[in-house]
Amino acid sequence: MGNARSSTILYVALLSLLVLGGSLFTGTGFAASLVIWVAINILLAASFRFVQLIGELNFAIAGFAGVGAYVAGVCTTKLGLPFVVAIVSAALAATLLSLIVGYITLRTKGPYFMLISFAFTEVLRMVYTQIDYIGSNSGMLGVFPPVLLTDYYPTFVVAVVLLSLIVLYKIEQSDFGKVLVAIRNNDAIVQTVGINVHLTKVMCLAISSFVAGICGALLAHANNVISPDDFSFLLAVYTLAYIKVGGESHIAGPILGASVLTLLAQVAMGFGPFEHIFYGAAIVIAVLLMPDGLVGIIRKLLGLPPKPQAAAKH
Amino acid sequence: MEIFGQLFLNSLQISAAYILFSLGLTLIFGVMKVVNFAHGEFFGLVLLLIAILVPWLNSPSVPLVVAYGASGAVSILATMACGWFLYHFAFKKFQRDMVGSFVLSVGLSLLIQGLFLEFFGGVPIKLPDLIEGNLRILGGAITTQRLVLTLIALLVAVTMCWLIAATKLGKSLRAVSEDHEAAMLQGIPYRKTALYGFLIATFLAAIAGALLAPVTVISANVGSDFLIKGFIAIVIGGLGSIPGSIIGSILIAVIESVGGYYFDPSLATLAMFVITMLVLLVRPKGIMGNG
Amino acid sequence: MKNLKQVYATLAFAALASATNVHAQEIIKLGISAPMSGAAAVWGLGMEWTAKQAAEKINLEGGVTVGGKKYNFAVVAYDNKYTAAEGTKVAQNLINRDKVKFIVGGIGTAPISALQSLSERSGVMIFISAWGKSVKGPQFPLTFTQSNTPFEILDPLYKYVLAQNPKAKTVAILNANDASGKEVELVAQKAWAALGVKVLSSNWYERGTTQFQPVAAKLTEQKPDIIDLGVAPPADAGIVLKELGVLGWKGVKVLPVGTSATQLAQIGGAAANGTYMGYAGDYSSSLATPVQQILNQGMLAQFKEPLNPLQVSSYDSVYALKAAMEASNSIDPKKIAAVLPTLVFETSYGKTVFGSKAIYDSPQQMQVPVMITQVQDGKMVELTRIIPEELKARLAAAK
Repeated sequence: MGNARSSTILYVALLSLLVLGGSLFTGTGFAASLVIWVAINILLAASFRFVQLIGELNFAIAGFAGVGAYVAGVCTTKLGLPFVVAIVSAALAATLLSLIVGYITLRTKGPYFMLISFAFTEVLRMVYTQIDYIGSNSGMLGVFPPVLLTDYYPTFVVAVVLLSLIVLYKIEQSDFGKVLVAIRNNDAIVQTVGINVHLTKVMCLAISSFVAGICGALLAHANNVISPDDFSFLLAVYTLAYIKVGGESHIAGPILGASVLTLLAQVAMGFGPFEHIFYGAAIVIAVLLMPDGLVGIIRKLLGLPPKPQAAAKH
Repeated sequence: MEIFGQLFLNSLQISAAYILFSLGLTLIFGVMKVVNFAHGEFFGLVLLLIAILVPWLNSPSVPLVVAYGASGAVSILATMACGWFLYHFAFKKFQRDMVGSFVLSVGLSLLIQGLFLEFFGGVPIKLPDLIEGNLRILGGAITTQRLVLTLIALLVAVTMCWLIAATKLGKSLRAVSEDHEAAMLQGIPYRKTALYGFLIATFLAAIAGALLAPVTVISANVGSDFLIKGFIAIVIGGLGSIPGSIIGSILIAVIESVGGYYFDPSLATLAMFVITMLVLLVRPKGIMGNG
Repeated sequence: MKNLKQVYATLAFAALASATNVHAQEIIKLGISAPMSGAAAVWGLGMEWTAKQAAEKINLEGGVTVGGKKYNFAVVAYDNKYTAAEGTKVAQNLINRDKVKFIVGGIGTAPISALQSLSERSGVMIFISAWGKSVKGPQFPLTFTQSNTPFEILDPLYKYVLAQNPKAKTVAILNANDASGKEVELVAQKAWAALGVKVLSSNWYERGTTQFQPVAAKLTEQKPDIIDLGVAPPADAGIVLKELGVLGWKGVKVLPVGTSATQLAQIGGAAANGTYMGYAGDYSSSLATPVQQILNQGMLAQFKEPLNPLQVSSYDSVYALKAAMEASNSIDPKKIAAVLPTLVFETSYGKTVFGSKAIYDSPQQMQVPVMITQVQDGKMVELTRIIPEELKARLAAAK
């Protein structure tokens, strides 16, 4: 087990260094945007997957990312606050909201939680369209990273993403992470040991939302324009695609899935309806033919034993 | 007082469409415990096929009614075939896996809508009216066409309810819905029943498409809007419950027409989603649900 | 068996990813950001078509000659779905990925604002048809407007409508709930009030709405004499008109952004008749130039709809661009943008100029005629045509 884990980590670390190194040379061109998108998608997928540790599909991730994006946008454009403040506020706002929402909704499980989180994302999106202060339907313009960072924004984003991934991974490997997985297996038993299952679940969602808030803030400053449609249910679906294709059983899954899908979509497909066809086909193929994603294929290639807990099933 | 008549008529015609839709959705959920997000695409497929066939068939020698009828029949059959195909190659493997089937169906929905857009193009099409004329009922106005279609839709809904309640197939569907293992012990062929359930649901979506073809502006993603509302309807009414889906559909049709009139259509939609969340939190089985 | 499945999966992915890329030659790419699906689809698709016609014609006639070198034009168009989110993606694709330096068509204030925030920074020149005032002005030196907007259309349109319907005293307004709608609504309210018409209500709908009965009911609630449908695109306007007909409302219908009778009549039926439109024109008769008549026939063949000013604007922009490139002898957007306001150039209408400094603080509006038309018996009939005063003056001075 130790060997398998460390080799995958090594693989992932090498990949990350490559990306980080590559991003130093890209400045502000399209390649830079690509690096940023891949990085943010990776983090979003990792954040979504984090909630899968307790066995839930968190479609509200798009909503929390949206909160992060808008808070960061308001900080930068309306309040003129420093960039770092914007990002931190974004993450905190998303976390706060998730604590409240999580406390209420995590009493439900499985398909019900999934549907609630889906409805919640749409409610948030519609709320954004009603608020003129943040531009309602037409969105917020002019969300720029600070001048000093403009050329190094990709590097910054990749660094933040890497850091967050390491933190998420460490939490997953820690005792807390083990409790999360135990909850997914059978939360009644965990309850009997004296652990407050409900609060633990809420914590898990909060951590995921903190990261999602960061993603939203980074995205806002990367695109410079944000609008309600950016954070619809569709964003959560794409995130799900990254995980399904990459594989849920290891944190390398979101990394692989997000990188492969984002790059393929950009390089090979062009634009327009192809985007939907591409992501849709990716999900269908992954779900039907590759239950453990690319990570599963790599495990097979490396001759490693398959991980016992592949997906969150009910 | 005139406005109440109008609102009633608006609610009626909107709910007819949603009822047909949600009947199918709830049936699939009840029997297969599958959340089919791609259900809207059957509806969309029928509409798109009819949109292509009717102008092609309609000519001086082929009256409009025949054109509609033939297109409708062909489209429904084609869609049923697609339904069978999807069942065998996709959904059969994900029965009783609500999460997995949802994910799969979301992917399918994206894929199919993208294909529709690619093959159909972006321009919406409005087909010619089948029946001309307006009526005034209870102080409100409605086109004769919509009234006829609404009545047919309600007829189909009633037939469905009867089917479920009285026939052997209906009883099998209900039995499987409640406890599929016990049903199998009773000798009910689960696989076959699930297939029939899926096909009936597909048929309902297809009929909804055929009935709404003369009155809807048809485009590649016409299925989505109906689908979301259908989902809300069955969640509120109770996943798996036929009467629940009818109640849920009527409820959201009323919210849409009354809320849209007195307040704002987008606020009405917002309200619907909030109610959905509340129902899921407080009474996840819905108004009439038995899970 | 599982192995085989994974092989299939990888193969499937490879197949999915193997679409070939078209590689660029020594050409100048011209971008378009417009809705090409949904209710406004015909606008974007038509705009793309006329731009391609212009590009082909110019290429056939020897291309654009700058600094002794010949360039051909190629049109790259993307669907911005009339939303800010999609407009941002389109902007990034056009400017960052496709390295386009000139945008010859833009529709939708929200997606165009998104485009502009990138284009001005990246030194990209854009010709737009967006109706918001917020996207024009000296702070956007590389932005030019290619067709008429509320500031040019509403005043003469409303005046004409009232002259034909002197008993009309009240109006109910409808608009889509986004940047385009919000900006037009402000201008509309002022314009109606200035003409002594009382605005009974100002209503909004979300783009993507399919059931318009509640909207129609709301509009007719206070029994207005006139209903002003603002920026509702053809498919939406058609449905609203139909529902108004069902409710039995018989009043004066005004659609400032009305571009053709075809979809209105197809969707709205008899209820569409009588609608005054501000954005359509007669390109089939001798009122139009030969060039326009040919374009019109092409549009009819391709889209079963006649040409409208919105769609022909990209054709004219391509020609304006060519003229400015050759006059400034440069393919640098900044140099071209500096020269453009000084030129008199050839378009499908004949000679025209950029002007309207008085309204927008910068001379960036293409001076084209305002045409007021009406749907009669399912067909568009041109009622009157107004040539801008500034254009007349500039042409006279140029002689």
